[in-house]
Amino acid sequence: MFADQPLALALPPGSRLPLALAVAALLVAALAVAGSIPIGYNVRNLIVRWRTTLLTALAFTLVVGLMTVMLAFVAGMNHLTEQSGQPGNVIVLSDGATDELFSNLNFVDAGDIERQGGVLRDAAGQPLASREVYIVVTQPVIGPSGETLRRRFSQVRGLDDPAMAGAVHGLELFPGGAWFSQAGVETLPPKENPAGTPAEGADRPAIQAVLGEGAAQQLGAELGKPPLVVGDTFELGMRRWVVVGIMQSTGSTFGSEIWAKRGVVAPLFGKADIYTSIVLRTAGADAARAVSTDLNDHFKKAALAAQPETQYFSKLGETNRQFAVTIAFVTIVMSIGGVFGVMNTMFAAVSQRTKDIGVLRILGFARWQIVISFFLESLFIAVIGGAVGCAVGYLADGVQATSMVSSGQGSGKTITLELLVTNQILMTGMLLALGMGALGGLIPALAAMRLRPLESMR
Amino acid sequence: MKFCLLIVKNLRRNVLRTLLTALGTMVLVFVVTLVWSILFFLDEVTREKSHNLKAIVTERWQIPSQMPFAYAQTLCEGAARQPGDARPTDSATWQFFAGTLDPAKRAAEDFIVAFAMEPRKLATMMDELEDLKGAQAAELQDNIHRMELQKSAILMGRDRLAKINKRVGDTITLHGINYRDINLECEIVGSFPPGRYDANTVINRDYLNDALDDYARKHNGKQHAMTSKTLNLVWLKIPDKETFSKIAQQITTSPLYASPAVKCETLSSGVTSFLESYRDLLWGMRWVLCPAILVTLSLVISNAISISVRERRMELAVLKVLGFRPFQLLLLVLGEALLIGVASGLISALATWYVVNEVMGGMKFPIAFFPSFFIPANAIGWGLGIGALTALIGSAMPAWSARTVQVSDVFSKVT
Repeated sequence: MFADQPLALALPPGSRLPLALAVAALLVAALAVAGSIPIGYNVRNLIVRWRTTLLTALAFTLVVGLMTVMLAFVAGMNHLTEQSGQPGNVIVLSDGATDELFSNLNFVDAGDIERQGGVLRDAAGQPLASREVYIVVTQPVIGPSGETLRRRFSQVRGLDDPAMAGAVHGLELFPGGAWFSQAGVETLPPKENPAGTPAEGADRPAIQAVLGEGAAQQLGAELGKPPLVVGDTFELGMRRWVVVGIMQSTGSTFGSEIWAKRGVVAPLFGKADIYTSIVLRTAGADAARAVSTDLNDHFKKAALAAQPETQYFSKLGETNRQFAVTIAFVTIVMSIGGVFGVMNTMFAAVSQRTKDIGVLRILGFARWQIVISFFLESLFIAVIGGAVGCAVGYLADGVQATSMVSSGQGSGKTITLELLVTNQILMTGMLLALGMGALGGLIPALAAMRLRPLESMR
Repeated sequence: MKFCLLIVKNLRRNVLRTLLTALGTMVLVFVVTLVWSILFFLDEVTREKSHNLKAIVTERWQIPSQMPFAYAQTLCEGAARQPGDARPTDSATWQFFAGTLDPAKRAAEDFIVAFAMEPRKLATMMDELEDLKGAQAAELQDNIHRMELQKSAILMGRDRLAKINKRVGDTITLHGINYRDINLECEIVGSFPPGRYDANTVINRDYLNDALDDYARKHNGKQHAMTSKTLNLVWLKIPDKETFSKIAQQITTSPLYASPAVKCETLSSGVTSFLESYRDLLWGMRWVLCPAILVTLSLVISNAISISVRERRMELAVLKVLGFRPFQLLLLVLGEALLIGVASGLISALATWYVVNEVMGGMKFPIAFFPSFFIPANAIGWGLGIGALTALIGSAMPAWSARTVQVSDVFSKVT
């Protein structure tokens, strides 16, 4: 299982976690060697007092396991926001808009924006640019007896040219699907009823839609089906829609979106005469920055807010950062509880083994060696509990969840993410366990050091 | 009574262990209290009420809700057309004006979203403000009066004021972001009472509407792009569910609201929709995080009590010889655990309530549009309950072990 993709993810450049873990491991090994008291003595004690060892290790397991799952959630959100933007893309919004939802670009400016220097062109000489209208539709979810159970928010992206949009955003369709047609609508055959009863209704018009994988799953769940596939239909905004394609969009915010013909969907929601964003493809990250600056400073026809797409999605990670801070706080507080638990265990171990300590001192072991011995015992419990916690937390890898990413300024996108247990998270878990073990074991170990041999033998 | 004294004396015998167990309990109860407070608040807000409920009218098919202001008057009357139609007991309109103090930099700290509404509705339609009493209520009425006299007056929460480094009496200019080319010069006339509205800002809706009219005059009659979309939300105060159903029916069937269409839902229903995106996160908090913390707490207590019982086997044997029955030994150990658990849980809950509510001014957690969460009074009971329950569960096995101490086994090992 450790050859799977998530564990093989490269650590961020400059990450000090491997170094920290290596140093910690070396320190433990050095202590074991320098301590001189046989490790077997500590191991046997842990086995003899197995109930106490088990209870203490379980507390570590729970703390580390919980932390792993919570960080995996944030890592999944980060991965999503980082992967959604193409390094060479520039997203153009209207001036002052922090999100597509609040952006209004004039129709007449679109052509001039696309012809900006630095924008790449396709084989036919057309600018690699996608004109888009982003709409969040509220749709009642109807229960079996016709009552409104709740409302869901569906993210709809109206596009003039879906194939161009796919090329600009780096998205392809699963085999068996197609982008929606120029018309954007198709006529469905009359609904077949069970044999013996007449077919229902005349030919039914439906809006053609291409779904992200997350959207297909969510809509399918509401209909009590597996994820929607090509040919399935669903209701949205008083219209019937038909799925013509599914995007390969895992790990991207576009996975939660429904794409359709702009000319069909925008008038339905009062956005017939605007674009919310225009996405331009440039040669790379540097070119994207240059084009953004040029549009912001020199485009005279309208005030624009252009930025590299990666920067736009990075800002959406603001809630990720807030969650990470909250998780760090909860983890630290929980680990304090765990430290008190292991401290209790080690104080008890010291008090139960005063005679052992006396004998060890009489045999010639120094005080500092006594400290190391008990300190290592605490670390052993921590390592066992932490390793099991990491293993339990790893079970959450790949689990899907919904959440929202937001820049924190009144906007947000609902996303379907996969929890991601990375090497970094596992290392953090082990370091946390070692830290808890060290803090919880140090004071009892120092108390053991202070025992006088003869008094302890009485 | 002597039995209780015995429990207390036993805990005092190893003060260090008792203290460590108590501290561990307090820390973990603290975390559970924080998490449950968030869940409790969200459950309360999304609970359907049967009386004195609030309804919101918004655009039917999309967010953000943007309706023409012409909808306002009839919506505030619940779209009542005929004499027998149902009407709300009170109403308020909201228009969202997003602006920046520095149009060149547009830094996050300069970004302000103000609710434009009728000032007098602050005291009758805003949660918690409508329940104010005494000096705070008088101060609010004073601020409302100032806003009615001076259209350019603005009311801000204290956190908002601190963030932009301004005080009551200062003047600011909000450069419109969603209302492009409309800048509102405002005087800060007061602040909200501490609590829920610390991060909020309110302006007089007449000021915004006048600015839109002024824009048209200056642009040869051409309306601002937002004129037909300026109304974002209408609040209705409704006495009961039956009246709500009638008003909702009146609104959704009225021919006045065709483009865009509107919907009328209870506040709890509206909030539930927004929280739908967070359902997995909330599920995890409720069914994974909290149970795991409670189990950890049980383990911490169980560990401590187990150690204590093992060390006192001889003492327990002596107690049996002296006539203590097995169930009394069971109760002795359970009592020790309960005392630690209940006392620690109570202290922790009280401290959490004080620190979060009084010192921190609420707990910031990025869920939906709620700026901060407070610890409810129920938390005191939660602390007691969590401490007691986890103590009982954690000490069950050690207590049973104490009950089954065999006198002959213990004394046969005495040298």
